Amino acid sequence: MSCALALAAGQAWAQEAGTFRYAEQVKLITMDPQQQSGSGVPFLRPVYESLFEKGPDGENVPLLATGYEVDGLDVTITLREGVSFSNGEAFNAEAAAANINRGIKLDVIEGLRTVESAEAANEYTLRIKLKEPDPAIINSLCYTGGMMIAPAALDDPAVDRNPVGTGPYVYNASESREGEVRVYTPNPTYWDKDKIGLARYEVWEIPDDTARLNSLRTGQIDAGNWLSNAQAAIIDRAPDLELIRHNGGLNYHVIISDREGTVVPAFADPLVRKAMALAIDRDAFNQAIQFGLAVKSFQPYGQGDWAYDPSLEGVYEYDLDKARELMAQSGFPEGFTFDMPSIPIYQSRLEALAGFFQEIGITMNIVPLEPGTLARRSRTTDFPATNLVWNTITDPKFVALRYIYEDAAYNPFKAKPSDELLALAEEGLNSVESEERAPAYKKMAAQLADEAFLIFVTNAPILFGVSEKTANNPSVVYRYGEDSINLRGLVAND
Amino acid sequence: MFRLIAHRLLALVPLLLIVSVLTFSFTSLLPSDPVDLILGDTGTQEQHEMLRERLGLNEPVVVRYFQWLGRAAQGDLGTSFFNSVSVTSAVMQRLPVTLSLTFVSALIAIIVGVAAGIAAALRPRSWVDRFATLGATIGQAIPNFWFGLILVAVFAVSLRWFPATGFTPISTSPWEWLRSVTLPSIALGLSSSAAIARQVRSAMVGVLQQDYIRAARAQGLSTRRVIFRHALTNAMIPVVAVLSFQITVLLGGALIVEQVFAINGLGTLAITAVRQQDIPMLQGLVLVMVALVVVVQLATDVIYGLLNPKARPS
Repeated sequence: MSCALALAAGQAWAQEAGTFRYAEQVKLITMDPQQQSGSGVPFLRPVYESLFEKGPDGENVPLLATGYEVDGLDVTITLREGVSFSNGEAFNAEAAAANINRGIKLDVIEGLRTVESAEAANEYTLRIKLKEPDPAIINSLCYTGGMMIAPAALDDPAVDRNPVGTGPYVYNASESREGEVRVYTPNPTYWDKDKIGLARYEVWEIPDDTARLNSLRTGQIDAGNWLSNAQAAIIDRAPDLELIRHNGGLNYHVIISDREGTVVPAFADPLVRKAMALAIDRDAFNQAIQFGLAVKSFQPYGQGDWAYDPSLEGVYEYDLDKARELMAQSGFPEGFTFDMPSIPIYQSRLEALAGFFQEIGITMNIVPLEPGTLARRSRTTDFPATNLVWNTITDPKFVALRYIYEDAAYNPFKAKPSDELLALAEEGLNSVESEERAPAYKKMAAQLADEAFLIFVTNAPILFGVSEKTANNPSVVYRYGEDSINLRGLVAND
Repeated sequence: MFRLIAHRLLALVPLLLIVSVLTFSFTSLLPSDPVDLILGDTGTQEQHEMLRERLGLNEPVVVRYFQWLGRAAQGDLGTSFFNSVSVTSAVMQRLPVTLSLTFVSALIAIIVGVAAGIAAALRPRSWVDRFATLGATIGQAIPNFWFGLILVAVFAVSLRWFPATGFTPISTSPWEWLRSVTLPSIALGLSSSAAIARQVRSAMVGVLQQDYIRAARAQGLSTRRVIFRHALTNAMIPVVAVLSFQITVLLGGALIVEQVFAINGLGTLAITAVRQQDIPMLQGLVLVMVALVVVVQLATDVIYGLLNPKARPS
């Protein structure tokens, strides 16, 4: 048995050569995909595969699944046969159901909150029962919600440091150094061995932007991710490095939470909100704050996304005269004052916005908060407005769940949505096909622009800083909407 | 001497207790909540409450402290709030990294500082003295993180003589270890070498004017013997006290320099723990750092006693 395994593995390993080194800008918190609430997916992808993944244009492509069917509240997924976890356990519907049910119980992954339960219909058919219609369920299964953990590891309290999945690589704990580097080596039981091209894959934790840049410059890493900051701008100008602008990324926006004017009466006036949207010089903001690496934004989606509406471009193009005119027409021509929460990374953004708003007589007091508390405080009535980022590849249904519905997470004043907005948000849930959903969500974005309680400022794409060799390596494929490289088929730079 | 060591080690116990109480109290006063950071933007109120319960954050601070103390007394410093990594293993894994950095920095600081101090003291008001004094002033004024960035730009990025980031354990490759600690240690040791140089110069100038030095010279002893055997031994007494303080400074400075060089030592762990409000990790780290400082001071006292018989405990 072991001889046969070694022989089989030997054939595949003949093509496994070299090392690829990737640097992640966040520290690893957990390698348990179902406990993963933020960044850190590059640490998971070598080991864990999801039921589906995103194709190059953002379409849902089966990975551990082979197909799906959605019928109302019933989702049936057929699974790939002949797949096993790296610990030798078989991947089947029982294992997949156990994973989904654990994800429901843990309740960390937003995309699984519409799932009632999962069960095995037969060995390779998984049946998922939804609580409510969810056109984005397959989309959710492309990410951490669909990543499959070996059944034996599901109850391991240390699964966050002992990941066991079906992926092309296995986690090498003995060669990894906690807080510094995670080492992955080929999975000898992988179901698609031709796709293993590396002898070793490393993910380095280098949160300091300058240190990460220096690592890239000296060839200590082959690629890494960056936000739109000074170091990314340096990479963009360096002749021997390349800055890759990838789809997805972060949309920075202002949320008028008190849109019925409970605390700040002026916020109930749409003319005031529109004046604020018009007063923002997004070009200047992008150049000064985001080093010219972002693009202007007037809607929640990014260019290239299926819900993106090009006709909304420039809907609130900077026009100070018009903004002042709207303020004069509003019930608040003398202006007003309000408080805006801030965390250190948003301080410069808010200072710029405060300057723009001051031009139309609105004084925005910036209130510093402890890092890590902005999201929680934004869900309370402590502030009449807030500012957040939103991942532009997130399914549009979450725009409604976060901002529109009366019980939306970031609607702390429980403002009632307009009938038009509510109808469009619900229309978007009527189909699973993005082509059928797109018209409703485009209209929803237009309606949001008209009501102007969400003021979109910029979209910063996902930015990869790579060496010249990585830029010229044809096997390097960036995952759609993710800050990670697709490891299936990745080979080392020459 | 044995009594001194025993006395100091005994004094460590109440000191660690006081420090642990203070750390626990201060971290509990922080307005932010580690649960926010663990659950991220999408955590529900119910999840917040469940997690607070699981982490014991619903208990009063006093109860939490005594629970922690009970476990710590048995050698269990707890587990990180954020993952299953034990505090002891996280700290012990990084301790050799920071100690490597501090040791090499201290070595550089002593060699450069003592050499510059002696050179300046031997020719007071000469250009050597002025140059050394100016160098010491600049060395103390330059922030170590900035100097580190300059070193990386020149010696790592341009010349490629040293790695720009990371740390290689000495057990993996002594040569790579030396390459990986050289630039951060120079950056870290710069201000300490300046402080030591000033102290050595000042002490040496005073000692060289003493009668016993004149007597040694009158006896025809060589300049080298006079300086190293008689003058430096006595001049080093105040320097040892400065050195003790400087090693404590180096331990603190490592927090910043480790960031510049992406070195995964106690400093990086401390910064992550502070950002995440990982209270068990912070608690463990502070205790280890305090113990280290006490050990350094104890070593200083022992060396001080060896150099100066008058300072030995009766």
